[in-house]
Amino acid sequence: MTITRRGLGLGGAGLAAGSALGLALPALAQSEPLRVGWLAALTGPSSAPAVGFNRGVMWAAEALNAAGGVKGRKVEVITRDTQGDPTKAVNATQEMISQLKVHAIWGPTNSGESLATTAIMARGKMPNIHPCVVNSLIDPKKYPNAFRIAPSNIQWDDAVRNYTTGVAKAKKVAVIGDTTGYGVTAANDSAAGFQKDGAEVVYKANIDSTQPDMTPDMLRARNAGAEAIVIWSVSTGMIARMLNTRAKMGWDVPFIGHPSLSSGEIAQLIEKPDYWKKVYCIGYRSCSFDANGKLPPRNEELLRKLAGKINLQDTLLWWVACGIDAVNLIADAAAQTGSTRNDDIIRYWNGVKSWPGYYGEYSWTPDEHNGYPGQDVVMSDASSGRNGAFALAPGYA
Amino acid sequence: MLASILASGLAVGAVYALIGITYNTMFATSRVMSFTAGQLGMLGGVLGSLFILRLGLPVLPGLVLTLAACALLGVVTEIVAVRPVLKSLDQHLYVLSTLALALMIQHTAALEWSTEPQPFPRLIGLGEGIWEEKYWLPVAACAATILGLEYLYRRTLVGRAFVAIAEDNYAARALGLPERNLRMASYALAGAIGALAGFAGGQLLLAFFANGPLLNFYGFIPVALGGLGNNRGAVIGGLALGLFQQAANFLVGGIFSSVAVFTLFILVLLAAPQGLFGAAAARRV
Amino acid sequence: MGVTDTAAPALKLPAAPSALARLLPFLGLLAGALLLPFSGNDYWALIATRACIYWVLVSGLNLIVGYAGQLAIGYVAILALGAYTASVLAAGNVLPALPSFAALGCAGLVGAVFGVVVGLPALRLRTFYFAMTTLGFATIVTQIALAWQDVTGGGIGIPGPEMPAPLDTPWGYYLFCLGAAALCTWLTANIAGSRFGRALVAVRDAEVAAEACGVAKPRLLVQVFLLAGALAGIAGGLFATLQSYITPDAFTFDLSLLFFIAVLIGGRGSILGPLLGTILLTLLPEVAAPLAAWSTFLYAALLLVIVLAIPGGIAALLDFRSRRALPEGRAVQPRPEALATLLGHHREARGAIELRGVVLAFGAVRAIDGLDLDLRPGEVHGLIGPNGSGKTTTLNVISGYYRPQQGSLTLAGAPLPAGRPALRAPQGIARTFQTPRLVGEATVLQNVMVGATVEGRSTFLEALFQLPRQRREEREMEARARLALAAAGLAGLADVRADRLQHSELRFMEIARALMLRPAFLMLDEPAAGLATEEIKRLGALIRAIAAQGTGVLLVEHHADLIFDICDRVTVLNLGRELAAGTPAEIRTHKEVVSAYLGG
Repeated sequence: MTITRRGLGLGGAGLAAGSALGLALPALAQSEPLRVGWLAALTGPSSAPAVGFNRGVMWAAEALNAAGGVKGRKVEVITRDTQGDPTKAVNATQEMISQLKVHAIWGPTNSGESLATTAIMARGKMPNIHPCVVNSLIDPKKYPNAFRIAPSNIQWDDAVRNYTTGVAKAKKVAVIGDTTGYGVTAANDSAAGFQKDGAEVVYKANIDSTQPDMTPDMLRARNAGAEAIVIWSVSTGMIARMLNTRAKMGWDVPFIGHPSLSSGEIAQLIEKPDYWKKVYCIGYRSCSFDANGKLPPRNEELLRKLAGKINLQDTLLWWVACGIDAVNLIADAAAQTGSTRNDDIIRYWNGVKSWPGYYGEYSWTPDEHNGYPGQDVVMSDASSGRNGAFALAPGYA
Repeated sequence: MLASILASGLAVGAVYALIGITYNTMFATSRVMSFTAGQLGMLGGVLGSLFILRLGLPVLPGLVLTLAACALLGVVTEIVAVRPVLKSLDQHLYVLSTLALALMIQHTAALEWSTEPQPFPRLIGLGEGIWEEKYWLPVAACAATILGLEYLYRRTLVGRAFVAIAEDNYAARALGLPERNLRMASYALAGAIGALAGFAGGQLLLAFFANGPLLNFYGFIPVALGGLGNNRGAVIGGLALGLFQQAANFLVGGIFSSVAVFTLFILVLLAAPQGLFGAAAARRV
Repeated sequence: MGVTDTAAPALKLPAAPSALARLLPFLGLLAGALLLPFSGNDYWALIATRACIYWVLVSGLNLIVGYAGQLAIGYVAILALGAYTASVLAAGNVLPALPSFAALGCAGLVGAVFGVVVGLPALRLRTFYFAMTTLGFATIVTQIALAWQDVTGGGIGIPGPEMPAPLDTPWGYYLFCLGAAALCTWLTANIAGSRFGRALVAVRDAEVAAEACGVAKPRLLVQVFLLAGALAGIAGGLFATLQSYITPDAFTFDLSLLFFIAVLIGGRGSILGPLLGTILLTLLPEVAAPLAAWSTFLYAALLLVIVLAIPGGIAALLDFRSRRALPEGRAVQPRPEALATLLGHHREARGAIELRGVVLAFGAVRAIDGLDLDLRPGEVHGLIGPNGSGKTTTLNVISGYYRPQQGSLTLAGAPLPAGRPALRAPQGIARTFQTPRLVGEATVLQNVMVGATVEGRSTFLEALFQLPRQRREEREMEARARLALAAAGLAGLADVRADRLQHSELRFMEIARALMLRPAFLMLDEPAAGLATEEIKRLGALIRAIAAQGTGVLLVEHHADLIFDICDRVTVLNLGRELAAGTPAEIRTHKEVVSAYLGG
């Protein structure tokens, strides 16, 4: 079965029949399914990441079940489409905790939702893995149940800043975000980071992503002497307009920043393929091609397994890989501890060290729930996408 | 810099003006302000991209099909959301019925087209820099529409009938004008004008489902400023809005420019509820 | 005067439901809500708390949208303001941290202020404009929340206020919000049932008539905007606590739409309907989770179906009483003898209404061209003339809808302000309209009670809390309205929805509404149009009886017989000028009148 982005069903939405009855009896516990709650913004704007994650989630659950499940227990993924709306995410979280009695929750997939659900999950002591970047979401004291499987904003920021000042050798930068919550915050944090590092932020702006013409902002950035433009936005329309404007101005300033710079949508929106050159976005070592065009061995194998089953052309490999890892981390906790009690799962995760996932090797301790290795956050050549993976940006070994 | 503000300001302003004219055209024969005006503009971009880029039609047939599809949608709007509520115009049910229809259009576009902006084709390939076609096409479309409407209203029988109905509904009906057919025709015309706005502005705004509410709001401002039913007012208001907005984008940045536009809009409306260029006052008693 | 002799069939109408019967659905809902905690399921607690909080907002919005008919689409803006105010104050970002309840109170205050700010355009602008401005306001509130990062946390947001024990558990908080929701139901029902609520509905459906009854729209709307804004602000504070964390993207247009549509599917002019609508729309997405992608589409489709198929919403579906047929062959039986009690102590007319040299032109057309007219207390003055001769226009000048370009208009020597219709009722000038202007969804009794709006003394706050003076006034008004209806011959129809009345009955209802004012002057615009001969006779007797109580009556009419039967004096207009004036006998023999108008 090929899972494609369009027409994808909300697989696993079927309710666990007995779960509403409440407390699972110990005798039943051995045979009842392992229920994984999956909070995904599958529709609505900015649904692309969750759609990618979802392909990995469904594939991983199917693979586990085909191999006999987790110690004989079926893995059941219960999906709720939150549409990126924090209110829907809060409702779905509480439903998963109190009504569906899931054993662990994966998601939500964007920070706005996660900010609202984190406290609720902590109150319900619900084991939770999420990929949201906002720093404050991870705090082992306040939220001992929440674990991050992706880089934090700080790690993203570091990667972009190090590349901008270290490799691109830009001393004067322009930092540009869109006018969404994420864009405003990320641009502010990034600008503050640059200033702390001694770089000069010569221009900082938040642009309405529907603004039809980017010339004024680009002109001001150039007049201010910017040597690199740092972008924090998920809006492909805005990014493409800026790329077109850059080319029209005949300016060869590098664009460095958010993973969306590599989105396949941009290829269609820019006027010439060349306009996508000198664009470097955040990527991951695990999902990057080396000089020979090869991924690391584990992911070369994954590509073979996914071939013909999952369409990788219109998504990113790391989304899919991350979805697979999340399900496997939950399943592994149940398998290793032989339990689906929340504190057993959390205790297991707290001891995870260099857990070999497709997306990264995660390590968590009771005091550190940021599990993604910072050195694996790299910069990619945004226009080099193939099978959802990218070539490393120049300057990386 | 100034040239760039002028070029893009006039271009988006022309799109807003055309959406304003779309509002006015529907209003003239029905006394209804329809929330579908902005969605027609959105569809102009989406359908244009669909026909020309996805289905590979040449530009001209693509344009004709886009206009025809939106004209049809205009007629559907009249039948589904306007005609049934005309009896009780003063209950303002049309606000709800057209809002509902607009949301249905927008949501269908989001699900069936894409939630990401999609490219819109280059149409002619004339001009560079600030004289690029994406800047002058909307202005040209706006000018052509105005001239076409002037010709229609002054020189043709159908156009005069429109004017007659717009000026006095009851009298026009008493004269034996086929009011319902004229209303449907004006909705079809409005559909085509809205589609033209989106089509001409397609390279600027891209084929994006969320353009609907945006155009709805920014297309309404020229109507409010220029006075309800006043097309010349809408054009002046639209161009002024476009320039103001681009200047604000440039001077105060993205976040505050929408605040600036909104504040100005409210202030002008409170000062001159009939718009700056006046509108026909309705008889109340 | 043989007006009470015809044998009318005895009217058997459904009695108005008792207070208890009206309360029953609310008590049922409350009982169900109180049983919910026994389920012990925190998910239900969350959803039910959400429904309660949404209702706190919708109950206020209902007065604006459902009662006043102002289409406030973007009310999520006030929810966001309240949520941010409460959260920011409780977190102590700007000022020293406030206790959660104080922060909630401040959210209410800020909500009230911005409720008026958002509402201001509604006082001057047309409906669609108001819808647009509220929409625009909703977008800039989130933009400002994003930009003002130091205070609001920008895109990262800010934690909601934490409630002290015992409200910090899901069920404790639920019961608190349920209490708030019940309180809001009571408060807004109080307003809806008061003269303020009746005036709101009148402004919505019959604005011109409302003005003639002296309803001051701006003042009325500002009071309601304050209340609805305060409730929405408080709802925002409660919402922030429930969400535990707020970011700008929590305040979506979908949420705004939910509030707005809840009112409309509930039905205009009802409290129970929107309450059920709110519960329904809160539950719907939970039940239909697999349809999440299409939820907005379904909302929109639902809205369209409701507008087209059941514009009355849930309230109309539940209104079983109004589906029972009214008896056939009803006859209006005015009882002029009731007028003595009704008009017994009416406003003393201090003198005549005098028009001198009044000129009113619409463009090049002189609708009134130098008219003199005297309207004296206790007299019936007929105004006749061909179509377009300026009869109704004259009436509109007197009642303040038109501002004449020249000439004077005085009452007892003091000028009557031109172009200010709402100032006529306080002067004791009442009128009816050529096409009856009424609130179809309200009962006949409620329609008539609008007529005495200017006499209400109790304040909005007194009405909000049902204080003694308000209750006393309300009883007096109802008694007077029933008396006015008896006088106009509609006593049996008092509790029927007005839109179920026959045309002739509506004419008498308008007279009853005008009589509520105990007017010194009463202006009737073609009251006999569409009436049967027998009914015209009774109307004539009623008018005479009204004049006999000292009220001056101006009668615009086409029925020459009625004019000549009951008028003391008659003015004949032609092309905006006086063609003739005098007693009926003089007019009947006036040569020009006979040839031009009476047709030989």
